[in-house]
Amino acid sequence: MSSDRPFETPPDRHYDREHHLWAHRDVESGRVRIGIDSIGLSSLGDLAYVSLHATGTTTPRGSALGSLEAAKMTTTIAAPVTGTIVARNDAVLKDPSLVNADPYGAGWLVEIEPARWEQDSAELVSGGAIEPWLAAEVERLQTEGRTD
Amino acid sequence: MGWRLIIEDGVGAAAGLAADEVLTRRAAQSAAPTLRLYTYRPHAALIGRFQDAAHEVHLDYCERHDIEVNRRPTGGGAILMGPDQLGIALAMPGRGAGLRARELMARFSEGLVRALHDLGIDARFRGKNDLEVGGRKIAGLGIHREASGGLLFHASLLVDLDVALMARVLKTPFTEITEAELETVAARTSTVRALLRDEISLDEVRTRVATGFGASFEVELEPGRLEADERADIATLVADRYGREDWIFQRTDVPDRSGRATLRTTGGLLDVQVALAGPTIVALHVRGDFFESEAAVADLEGRLRWHPGARDAVAATVRAWAQANPEHSLAPDALASVIDRAVAVGRGDTGEPYGCFVTPESTHG
Repeated sequence: MSSDRPFETPPDRHYDREHHLWAHRDVESGRVRIGIDSIGLSSLGDLAYVSLHATGTTTPRGSALGSLEAAKMTTTIAAPVTGTIVARNDAVLKDPSLVNADPYGAGWLVEIEPARWEQDSAELVSGGAIEPWLAAEVERLQTEGRTD
Repeated sequence: MGWRLIIEDGVGAAAGLAADEVLTRRAAQSAAPTLRLYTYRPHAALIGRFQDAAHEVHLDYCERHDIEVNRRPTGGGAILMGPDQLGIALAMPGRGAGLRARELMARFSEGLVRALHDLGIDARFRGKNDLEVGGRKIAGLGIHREASGGLLFHASLLVDLDVALMARVLKTPFTEITEAELETVAARTSTVRALLRDEISLDEVRTRVATGFGASFEVELEPGRLEADERADIATLVADRYGREDWIFQRTDVPDRSGRATLRTTGGLLDVQVALAGPTIVALHVRGDFFESEAAVADLEGRLRWHPGARDAVAATVRAWAQANPEHSLAPDALASVIDRAVAVGRGDTGEPYGCFVTPESTHG
């Protein structure tokens, strides 16, 4: 995703403030799909490699569910919610550029069976809080860009 | 508050890497970053986070010669570390350090650039991951962000380099290690000692690096050491990760792709090989008869390392390189065309295994 494109933040997602991941809970299955948000991708650039933990792995919120390499920076992907990985996006594992091309769609990373969605989702940004959070993040990004 | 400065020598590969990760985890909860300046026990081959050890390292040679192999948490290519290569690890909290990888790298590399300038070496930050001197790489850089929020800046500075040993340990596109090939590799690489024409000690270089980081970040460096609880965490991390074969020899799901294209004209031969990760060129190797200086070739390779493989982006970078390096006899568009052909072969966009036999429309210089 180009850094000069407007930051997209679909309103139906929850966002992890620190790690810039999104979480979307399917109402019927209860599963939570995880991906990287547009601000996170802007800071990372093009993804070259992605590694995701195996299905069946339990990941407490904040612990690693995988890692990635983008433009020389590597980063641990920290789970935004506690739960068990029940699906990995094999298409992204084989072609990480899918994440840049369609971060909220085909570029999802894993699905988690959440253990404590109500508590964890309260820690994430959602609903009417998204817009002011996004505005503050964009300002912070621009400020840090100027001072770096 | 000052930063802690840790100096170590002769560390093992697993313990050395685990220490950097432990310090990074702790930095996320601590206000005080740690700068660790250290050397590895001779020798260690350290591959990038997502590289395949068997693809990058002559494992049989390493086993016969007691050379450790391990995997860094940071990305990039394989490196050889020993008593003449200074390892630099800066562990600090991630928040407030900025977000963009390129800007982070430039900020972190500033301390190293200052140190080299202080020694009289005009080093510059290039692309996403190199410090170069006159087009030739002198240090490799990498950044890793931990789940805890800690940030690890890794660098390896070539104070000196045994090119022949490196060629025996690390795999190169060259199938045979001839004297001529070794000279080519040496001519594309810089070291502190070669540039200064002086047997400067690693300790002296290390002192300058510490001073450079302190000045760059405007902090006092306070000599310290790894504490007992940190050593315990390091031992645990060695047992859980860096000492385990399933970490060192893990494979990525992303298929490595490579492509090759050649250009044969009356003026000579150009041979281009690329390694691709998805649409990104992660490595480029160029050999040919059109270049006056190996430094210029090294500069081209450096500019196109971790570079988008898109035709227009490659062409723009080649044109910028040609302006900075006029001492070659090949038109930039022709050179870009061969690179684009190699990328297309790597992507599987052509039916050819490799090969591009065209006559350039014009020559440059």
